[in-house]
Amino acid sequence: MGTFLKHHRWITPLALLAPGLLWLLVFYLYPALQMFMASFWSGSLATGFTFSLSNWTNYPDAVSTYAPIYLRSVLYAGAATVTTFLIAYPLAYTIAFKGGRFKNLLLFLVVAPFFTSFLLRTVSWKIILSDSGPVLGPLKAIGILPQQFHVLASPMAVIAGITYAFLPFMTLPIYVALEKVDFRLVEAAKDLYAGPWRPGGAIVGAIVGGVLMAVLGFVFNTSPLAFAIVGAVVGAVLFHFRVSESFVRVTFPLSISGVFAGGLLTFIPAIGDYVNAELLGGPNTSMIGNVIQAKFLTENDYPSASALSFVMMFGVLIVVAIYAKILGTEELSAAAARA
Amino acid sequence: MSTSDKLTGSPISRRRLLQGSALMGTAAFLAACGTKGTVSPAPTAAAAATTAASAAPSAAAASGAAGSAAPSAAPASAAPTATPSEPMIPNGTVANVVWANWPLYIDVDKNGNHPTIQAFEKKYGVKVTYKEAINDNNDFFGKIQPNLQAGQPTGWDIITMTDWMAAKLISFGWIERLNPAAMPNFQANVKDQYKTVDWDPDVAHHAPWQSGMTGIGYDPKVTGSVTTLKAFFTADPRWTGKVDMLTEMRDTIGLTMLSLGLDPSKPTRAAFDQCITALTAAKNAGIIRRFTGNDYSQDLSAGDAVLVMAWSGDMVQLLVDKPGLKFSLGADGTYGGMLWSDNMMVPKGAAQPYTAELLMDWYYIPANAAAVEDYVNYICPCRGADVVLKKLDPSVASNPLIFPPDSTLARLSIFGSLTPDDESYFNTGFDNLINGA
Repeated sequence: MGTFLKHHRWITPLALLAPGLLWLLVFYLYPALQMFMASFWSGSLATGFTFSLSNWTNYPDAVSTYAPIYLRSVLYAGAATVTTFLIAYPLAYTIAFKGGRFKNLLLFLVVAPFFTSFLLRTVSWKIILSDSGPVLGPLKAIGILPQQFHVLASPMAVIAGITYAFLPFMTLPIYVALEKVDFRLVEAAKDLYAGPWRPGGAIVGAIVGGVLMAVLGFVFNTSPLAFAIVGAVVGAVLFHFRVSESFVRVTFPLSISGVFAGGLLTFIPAIGDYVNAELLGGPNTSMIGNVIQAKFLTENDYPSASALSFVMMFGVLIVVAIYAKILGTEELSAAAARA
Repeated sequence: MSTSDKLTGSPISRRRLLQGSALMGTAAFLAACGTKGTVSPAPTAAAAATTAASAAPSAAAASGAAGSAAPSAAPASAAPTATPSEPMIPNGTVANVVWANWPLYIDVDKNGNHPTIQAFEKKYGVKVTYKEAINDNNDFFGKIQPNLQAGQPTGWDIITMTDWMAAKLISFGWIERLNPAAMPNFQANVKDQYKTVDWDPDVAHHAPWQSGMTGIGYDPKVTGSVTTLKAFFTADPRWTGKVDMLTEMRDTIGLTMLSLGLDPSKPTRAAFDQCITALTAAKNAGIIRRFTGNDYSQDLSAGDAVLVMAWSGDMVQLLVDKPGLKFSLGADGTYGGMLWSDNMMVPKGAAQPYTAELLMDWYYIPANAAAVEDYVNYICPCRGADVVLKKLDPSVASNPLIFPPDSTLARLSIFGSLTPDDESYFNTGFDNLINGA
């Protein structure tokens, strides 16, 4: 046996890969292939479906009808990914460098929401954000918000829901990347006269703070400009004094693989998500997942649904490829593996 | 037992559970897709030859599965379905049956048992496996469709499906024809309005289980009195942005047709297009907050919605949480509401179709129907149940949402059946409205 394996060294890696490959073959490749075939069907459940390559028109039909919804999905998923990044990076940074003996507890808290069903958590948001719920109720009572104001059934609610749901997927990879940063490099940078980040800190801080507050002002329908100015000033001051050159030149570049992996882990599932749009959104906030779900389950229109799914898959591939080109200092698989 | 005890004992109606089922959809879709890879001939009456060919193995499998002296589902020489010579279920021995129904849709005692089923089991000495297996018509269809199409048993003796889905299954020839002689109580007690559906004349394939009304649900404290369906399409600061409509196409389109003075019992594409125009206008005017399943009940009790298209059974329960709410079919005499039913049927290939008939008939004995109605808050299709309930639980017997007077029933419409082409046209148009495409 020993000599047999010695002479056939290729067996060991293959045996190790076999369970995973088999799994993918049965539960991914086969259904995907089925779905690809289905996208070339025509007909209906009642009359039966027939396969023909001439049904490639399913694709342009699907795209032309649902282009606005694809665009909306990309926008929502993109906005949610950026927001998760803005929240997750400081969070992961704090846990990695300032966590001390609470590190494990803090990490547990990041993961803790997973102990409850995704659906339940989304429904809870519905209760929290309801028109006269614990958040908006008091604000309306003291007159800060108009009575007609509501968060639910708006794009903001859907984006916030996605942001919340995928926050741990962004936080954990960034944390892992930051954890590995050799702090001696930061010390070395400081020895080499890396001080506060000036003037870059103030500029970036002003932009980040300004944009964030402008969005908030826009959402609450007050005055975005005033909000933006306040945000820009606070952001500029904060970044001016608190962001060091060693962070910009050493820590952040070393953590970029985590940012990359987190971005993928957030953006890809977010773009296909339909639960948040279903529960927190309104009639004008549907995402492509909602359309595909309706096509498959209520219309029994398997060909269109399959075509829509494949367009989405290829769209995501293209977006990810561009993203990898811009941000991918590491190989995609390496970054994912590290996550 | 008072009404409120009963109601708080069952805080979730079956429709409230609908929403969660969306998540299980993926499984159903995979199930539906798996068999679709081999392109099958049409399972309609037009393809009668194929259906007849597949009827034989189905009958064989059925008697094989029974493993006893039970009757087979149909003679091996069965004629094609949906023809005048379609055979009825023959009498046979009584054996264990399996029944698929919606959640919280039958009487339950303190121990979680179903007393009316226990009584049936005792009387006939058989076991009834009652499963709350249906959360959504399309979902369940996805599960049984591959077997039915392949002429194989589904594993169910009774399935409970809403009108339009029942119509679809019957038109495909996938439902056994009932034997009236085996169901004397059903023949005697089914209310008249159930005998005239166009998709199953003479009620030969189905027995209604429960019905419900779809109408206007509103919070009069906010909206004032709402007496017309036109309110759904009229911008008004009291309810703009706080209107929920249903994702169930036949309910929302049905009520919209009524509001436009169109007849939902004869749905046409032109009428449908008019509805979509009206609904799109209401959506763009910001009147509609969202399209939901049973979720509207949460919105209504939280105050996120104040004017909704509502199901009567949910309203009975909502009234316990928020007594001020109102359910209306409109008071101006022009408008009404929709009536829908969930129907018991015996799918082709059922192992024990005869026992299934006996069980269906069991619920047309008024005392049994009354026991169910005392727990479930929908409309009872069995004549005489209210008479029994007047003694047992007068508050239920006098509740117009559970036993609507004939004058109310007369104002309700049943959504007419659609050709497959029209159905696809309606569903696509409606989903595009909901999803904003």
